[in-house]
Amino acid sequence: MATDRATAVSGADLGDARRRNVPGVDIAATPPAPIVDDKKKLAPKVGFSNTFRSITGSNLTTPFRKAPCMRRRIGHGCHQKSFLQVLDEWEFLIAPIIFTAFAIFTRLFRIGRSPIVTWDEAHFGKFGSHYLKQEFYFDVHPPLGKIMVGLSGLLAGYNGSFEFKSGETYPEELNYTFMRAFNAFFGIVCIPMAYYTARELNFKRPTVWLVTLMVLCENSYTTISRFILLDSMLLCGTVATVFCWSKFHRLQHESFEPEWFFWLFMTGLSIGCVCSVKLVGLFVTALVGLYTVEDLWNKFGNLKMPPTELAGHVAARVVGLIIVPLLVYMFSFALHFAILQNSGPGDAQMSSLFQANLRGTEVGKNSPLELAYGSKVTLKNMGYGGGLLHSHVQTYPEGSNQQQVTCYHHKDANNDWYFYPNRDETPYDAEADPRFIGDGEVIRLIHSSTGRNLHSHDIPAPISKGQKEVSCYGNLTIGDAKDHWKVEVVRDAASRDRSRIRTLTTAFRLRHKALGCYLRAGNTNLPQWGFKQIEVTCTKENKPRDTYTHWNVEAHSNDKLPPGDPGQYKSPFWHDFVHLNVAMMTSNNALVPDPDKQDDLASKWWQWPILHVGLRMCSWDDKIVKYFLLGNPLVYWGSTVSLGVFGLVVVWYLLRWQRGIKELSPKEIDHIHYSGFYPLLGWFLHYIPFVVMARVTYVHHYYPALYFAILTFGFLTDWFLRNKKPIMQYVIFGVLYTIVVGLYALFIPISWGMEGSNREYNYLKWFSTWRITDGEALLG
Amino acid sequence: MARKQSQQQQATKAADTASSGFSASAAPTPSSAAPMAARAPSPQPPAVKAAKPSKAKEAAKRKQDYGSIGVKDYDIFLLPVSDYQIMLVLTILAAAVRLFRIYQPTSVVFDEVHFGGFASKYIKGKFFMDVHPPLAKLLITLAGWLAGFDGKFDFKEIGKDYLEPGVPYVAMRMFPAICGVLLAPIMFLTLKAAGCRTMTATMGACLIIFENGLLTQARLILLDSPLMVATAFTAMAFTSFTNQHELGPSKAFSATWWFWLVMTGLGLGTTLSIKWVGLFTIAWVGSLTLIQLWVLLGDTKTVTMRIWAKHFMARAFCLIVIPLTFYMAMFAIHFAVLHNPGDGDGFMSSEFQSTLNNKGMKDVAVDVAMGSKVSIRHVNTQGGYLHSHPLMYPTGSKQQQITLYPHKDENNMWLLENQTQPIHHQTGEQINGTAAWNDLPAPAYVKNGDVIRLYHTSTHRRLHSHDVRAPVTEADWQNEVSAYGYDGFDGDANDLFRVEIIKHKSTSAIAKERVRTIQTKFKLVHIMSGCVLFSHKVKLPDWASEQQEVTCARGGTLPNSLWYVEYNEHPMLGEHAEKVNYAKPGFFGKFWELQKVMWKTNAGLVESHAWDSRPPSWPILRRGINFWGRNHLQVYLMGNPIVWWSSTAAVVAYVLFKGIAILRWQRSCSDYSSSTFKRFDYEIGTSVLGWALHYFPFYLMARQLFLHHYFPALYFAVIAFCQLFDFTTARIPGLGIRENPIINKATATSVLILAILVFYLFSPLAYGNQWTKSECKRLKLFDTWDFDCNTFPVNYADYGTMKPSSSKSATQTPQSSSAKAKQPPPPPPPPPAREQGQAQVPLQEAGNERQAAGISGSVPLPDNQKLLKREERVEYRDQDGNVLDPELVKELEGKVEFKTRYETRTRVVDAFGNEIQEPQGGWSKDLDQDQARDPVAPPHPDVEGADSETKRSSKQLIPDDPIPPPVESQEGAREAEVKEPKHASNRNEASMKNEEAAAAEAASGEESQGQAQAQATDHKVAEAAEAFV
Repeated sequence: MATDRATAVSGADLGDARRRNVPGVDIAATPPAPIVDDKKKLAPKVGFSNTFRSITGSNLTTPFRKAPCMRRRIGHGCHQKSFLQVLDEWEFLIAPIIFTAFAIFTRLFRIGRSPIVTWDEAHFGKFGSHYLKQEFYFDVHPPLGKIMVGLSGLLAGYNGSFEFKSGETYPEELNYTFMRAFNAFFGIVCIPMAYYTARELNFKRPTVWLVTLMVLCENSYTTISRFILLDSMLLCGTVATVFCWSKFHRLQHESFEPEWFFWLFMTGLSIGCVCSVKLVGLFVTALVGLYTVEDLWNKFGNLKMPPTELAGHVAARVVGLIIVPLLVYMFSFALHFAILQNSGPGDAQMSSLFQANLRGTEVGKNSPLELAYGSKVTLKNMGYGGGLLHSHVQTYPEGSNQQQVTCYHHKDANNDWYFYPNRDETPYDAEADPRFIGDGEVIRLIHSSTGRNLHSHDIPAPISKGQKEVSCYGNLTIGDAKDHWKVEVVRDAASRDRSRIRTLTTAFRLRHKALGCYLRAGNTNLPQWGFKQIEVTCTKENKPRDTYTHWNVEAHSNDKLPPGDPGQYKSPFWHDFVHLNVAMMTSNNALVPDPDKQDDLASKWWQWPILHVGLRMCSWDDKIVKYFLLGNPLVYWGSTVSLGVFGLVVVWYLLRWQRGIKELSPKEIDHIHYSGFYPLLGWFLHYIPFVVMARVTYVHHYYPALYFAILTFGFLTDWFLRNKKPIMQYVIFGVLYTIVVGLYALFIPISWGMEGSNREYNYLKWFSTWRITDGEALLG
Repeated sequence: MARKQSQQQQATKAADTASSGFSASAAPTPSSAAPMAARAPSPQPPAVKAAKPSKAKEAAKRKQDYGSIGVKDYDIFLLPVSDYQIMLVLTILAAAVRLFRIYQPTSVVFDEVHFGGFASKYIKGKFFMDVHPPLAKLLITLAGWLAGFDGKFDFKEIGKDYLEPGVPYVAMRMFPAICGVLLAPIMFLTLKAAGCRTMTATMGACLIIFENGLLTQARLILLDSPLMVATAFTAMAFTSFTNQHELGPSKAFSATWWFWLVMTGLGLGTTLSIKWVGLFTIAWVGSLTLIQLWVLLGDTKTVTMRIWAKHFMARAFCLIVIPLTFYMAMFAIHFAVLHNPGDGDGFMSSEFQSTLNNKGMKDVAVDVAMGSKVSIRHVNTQGGYLHSHPLMYPTGSKQQQITLYPHKDENNMWLLENQTQPIHHQTGEQINGTAAWNDLPAPAYVKNGDVIRLYHTSTHRRLHSHDVRAPVTEADWQNEVSAYGYDGFDGDANDLFRVEIIKHKSTSAIAKERVRTIQTKFKLVHIMSGCVLFSHKVKLPDWASEQQEVTCARGGTLPNSLWYVEYNEHPMLGEHAEKVNYAKPGFFGKFWELQKVMWKTNAGLVESHAWDSRPPSWPILRRGINFWGRNHLQVYLMGNPIVWWSSTAAVVAYVLFKGIAILRWQRSCSDYSSSTFKRFDYEIGTSVLGWALHYFPFYLMARQLFLHHYFPALYFAVIAFCQLFDFTTARIPGLGIRENPIINKATATSVLILAILVFYLFSPLAYGNQWTKSECKRLKLFDTWDFDCNTFPVNYADYGTMKPSSSKSATQTPQSSSAKAKQPPPPPPPPPAREQGQAQVPLQEAGNERQAAGISGSVPLPDNQKLLKREERVEYRDQDGNVLDPELVKELEGKVEFKTRYETRTRVVDAFGNEIQEPQGGWSKDLDQDQARDPVAPPHPDVEGADSETKRSSKQLIPDDPIPPPVESQEGAREAEVKEPKHASNRNEASMKNEEAAAAEAASGEESQGQAQAQATDHKVAEAAEAFV
């Protein structure tokens, strides 16, 4: 089995041999020895290319290489290298350089033409400004990409003062051209990487060029790379990960060699980076993960592999593909927290202790350290994304019909509560010395602005019917034992002493005395009657580790106590990290579109692969430069069709195989498996989640998936033309190249910007759903 | 491709194992061995108690066909007579256990509310909408109809008495009960068909008989018992078919083979026609069929492509065509029975409704012209017609309400007016008045782009919009739409709407150019603000009788902005003008529409329920469902823990086994060369697959789920448990167990005794029998088993002495209302805790609703407004409900926000000024008739309509009570109420909504005074709304 597979997978050598067999290459003779010599010399310089490998694996390749020349020598002699021969030898450098040059041109040409804030530049530019101003903000995406935007602003000499309001003109002092070019760089890098990826997937040279051309001449990739957005970085990360993975895969028979380790860690690194830009990176991570699982599974089945070696493989992958990416991801958050030291618009999402450590915050400033009866406080839920305990005069429309109690993120007077002694004790005396509150004490909470008591009873909560409703009821004198809550300290970041409740640092639970349930605020939103605030319930489940039942005192004022500085304790990084991540997930899922609102920007998953719609990135005024996000039709339609065709091809071979027809060699099976099936899997992993997702989606969510579809298209072209006559290959590839480039050129105004009246571009409006202009569609 | 490679390995391995085995005579075809390791031939003869298969036969068996080794013909028609006798005994036992005291409880239990209710609707032929397909409901109806049920009983709420109205509920319950009884013999036969011992099969059947949960469900008018028997029948048929299939080519296309294949198809059709859970059964059969076909494909020796195609077509016909046809036939019956309009109409399109009796519309004139009197209907929702009535919005502009109203009514009539009055063709003068278009030389058709005004004929106001937020939807892109003006008022610019025809939604060429009745779908664009007349599934509050909100939206979705003209008359279009009507949908149109509505409704049942549970809690039996509670008796759906836990353990054991087997297989261990091992893996694997396919899909469902959704999965888990038992005690060699049959019998017997004992202990909850508190508490092993032990008396003797009506949980029974009235009055309202004039501004900044520009006219009503007897007063209160001094209000103006609230309660005062409690079931009809004499608006044509707001008046109402004080929460009746059983789709079920609302109103009418105060807003808010304008 093992040897079988060895030959099967050593496609690298095969590929080399195959690549030479390229139409368009002159069959002039070359002396064999100089080639090898040359490559040896080149090896250190171009370590990443396949020449290096051809040396390490030279035993097999050299005879292959020599053979054609030997034969040719009879006729022409292998004495000199012709110019074409040199080109052929150096194609692996020349071609990507040319492609990259074109990429630089298409991505940067007149990049500063539109001086207005275009589309999501409004968001990401603003986030970049927050980094420059070091203000804490909150967003659904991980920070790395936005830190880079901030960095580009820093390099451009921008001070963070611009608000990035959508559609506004950039001020003079803001070098937005540089910032855009910085982003475009990531888009440019994709092209050479796509080239090398296609090579590593053992595609023949014309296919490699086709794949590269499809990535290069893709209008949507071009457009999205030309603005201050995260998508070019995301795309770059995805392409880089696939590239590193393909490199790593090719090296699988040189396990534990330095190069193998290098590419393993590069894969891990790029996974870490892409996940730190947008969480979409998790999908490419899943691709690599599935590959790794299959790889290890096969190794597990290899009876000849010693267990120690297997363990070594597992360990290397755990370190390279799990620990390294995690470290990168966490590092980006560490950077995030390190940079953002000032209080800003995102404070409320974080724990009280975190807020207290921001510069310029109100939280924890001049608050008395320890809590006493009569203290006026706000109570912060310590669950991820938890808000402040809140009540307002509106009543529950059902259940008890008493006054609502909710959790609310924004600061207002209705968040204030008084700690009062319970009804069995002596009433609160404002004149007496302050009496401190400790663990286990039974208290009442009185809502400051309505004077009612925090109350619970055996009535199901409005949404979570399994839990009890919490309301506000009665007043100072009216009420009963159902207003009594027992303070149970969970932990205290500052002290082991539980006889006092401390501002910020003490986490406590509130246990309802009569029902034995705990005050809880999960992340459930009330309907409109509760203003979409968070539902507060009383849960019977006694789970001490459920942070949604943990509360701490955020603001605290008590005239009789001396002000202190309770914010001197830092919240641990790990806690902030997890907290922020959960909050990100929660709010990402909350980005649900309003079903009643016609959103011309949003699109549905089924529209993307068929290029049903584009996206207007700015207003469609005649005076401004307009950009339309739409792909190259051939790339989209061709790649989509190839997905289905590939599936049919696989089914065809499977059925025939089951019928006992053995027509594929193990090498060919491996080629289908790794160069055809894995790209298809990548497409599924990048596409299906958006089908399931409830949040509002846009065309650019398809771009990573499109890359995999392009690879599938490349595979199929390669596969179907592999044994065809050269003349047929010339023609088909020639036609494909021409159409791809031609369509790209035709549609280039939508990427480079359309000036003047949109009517002038009506020739691009093939369908009425392509809202490039307001005119009539050409077709349909 | 990954699969392909692994299969290749597998094939190689199988070949390895075969060659390493001692019986090398039969080199397997790799293809047949590959896809299912279970198929590789075995070197060992199957060691079952077979009748000495001859060596030659065995060798023949090992030849290269697709049949499986170790399988014999288990045809259940060929069982020994003793097996049939045992089966008969089991059936009788099941009947005895299931039918015992089937008459109790004697009142409506849990979802009998729905399924009983549907039966009465079937009998009356009134169309309803339910999320389940019709078969089981039709059969329940049939049972009731045969027993003489006349459909008069409405099954309105849990606990409603059956005995007094003489409902033949026992007959109706008999149908699910018989299904439940049949489940036991079917389990017996299924296990026999799977090759189990008789002892095992008996044990399996008994586990089903003594399963408390299945028993509880089977004794009531519910769909789950028929569903279970259909699923079980399908499983039996398919197991039998698989057995025939595995016997190889000799049995293919034999009579038995065909019989079981057709039965599988019918079983699938039946299951699917009872509940959509049948789709999981289809998935189970489908995936196993695909495996069979794959194996057939690999048999290149005996299966030619022609034979393979025959296999394929046979399965496609029996497993796709038959079930689908059966399913559609059920809907054909459903449509045939429900020929009258009913409360489900509102879910269906107008075309659909026009197929119901009396709902059909007369042909109407097709051409719409200026001066046409039309009704305008919303396209995307079933909210109905653009409607207005002489009630004012309590918020925003306080002008007259515009709603969508589902029933035909004079208030839906609008007159289409041109932007300008027409010029008389002879005199050249402008013709004034709304009748101006009635005798022009030619009708002025309403064309695309025309600007029109819509004149509401019964209140003489025009459709109007302005920059004021919509009453419910607080979005800045939605404006309020009102009716504004008076008779003789010329209108203003905010009355103008432009007609924009949406061409691709309009049928016929003319309809794309000018408005035609029904055919043209158009938008109405408000000229001044550019917004579009819009409606969506948002209900207005009580003050508009929960009719649907109409707004004017900038950028609303297109489907919700579309309207069309349904009724049209114009004096100039005479008798012979071209007429039009709805295109009547055919059966397939109706069928498909209903499927879509069912799907949408089903997905929309997301509100949480007091007794719901999530899938992870099911296999461990974490919680049950309170079905019914009354008179110190209780019916609580809970499984037999022994059956649940042992079946779950069997599934877990198999999963562990499979995991280890796969790991060993990858390490090239030759486990699969043993035929017993393969059979163990395959047979139990099949059952566990059935369990998984009936269980895991529920994780994906957001809708409310209940314990009984686990039953089909439980059935498969029990099969798996029995098979596991059979293998360990009777088939696996070498353990020493197989050789001692006594172990088999003894274990089975002890498992059964244990199960029966536990069944007996929990049976009072299943039967609703008498029980005591202490016994109940003893069995409450977990807190999460939340049956209420306190409802039971201390000892059985107490049942004799207790009065039935003193039960705490009997709040909804009629006789308890007297007890309620005696409850002490609520405590006095607490004094305001804190004086603060400030009301809260919850989410948005202080609203600018009032000073918004564009409101033409002021709040006071025009003089000729025809409203009779209204209380008009504005009161200002602080947040505690204290009435504020008008001077104080003036002072505060501008500093604080005033919110309009209507928390007044309505009291009815008799001649002496005493307050009258609302009678049970709402105010009597004569009050309504009184009001009918006050012609606020013409009475509705369909008196049965859900809505009667236009008939109500504010007569006798004095809305001046303060905001209700907080109610004493201790010992509140509400808390008892929430502990009560609720039917599954409580306040959620599609077709029940209207009735529910009515029931809720009625129920609250009975509640104690304190309750009534707290809730007063729930009733009659329409009046309150008027009172505050």
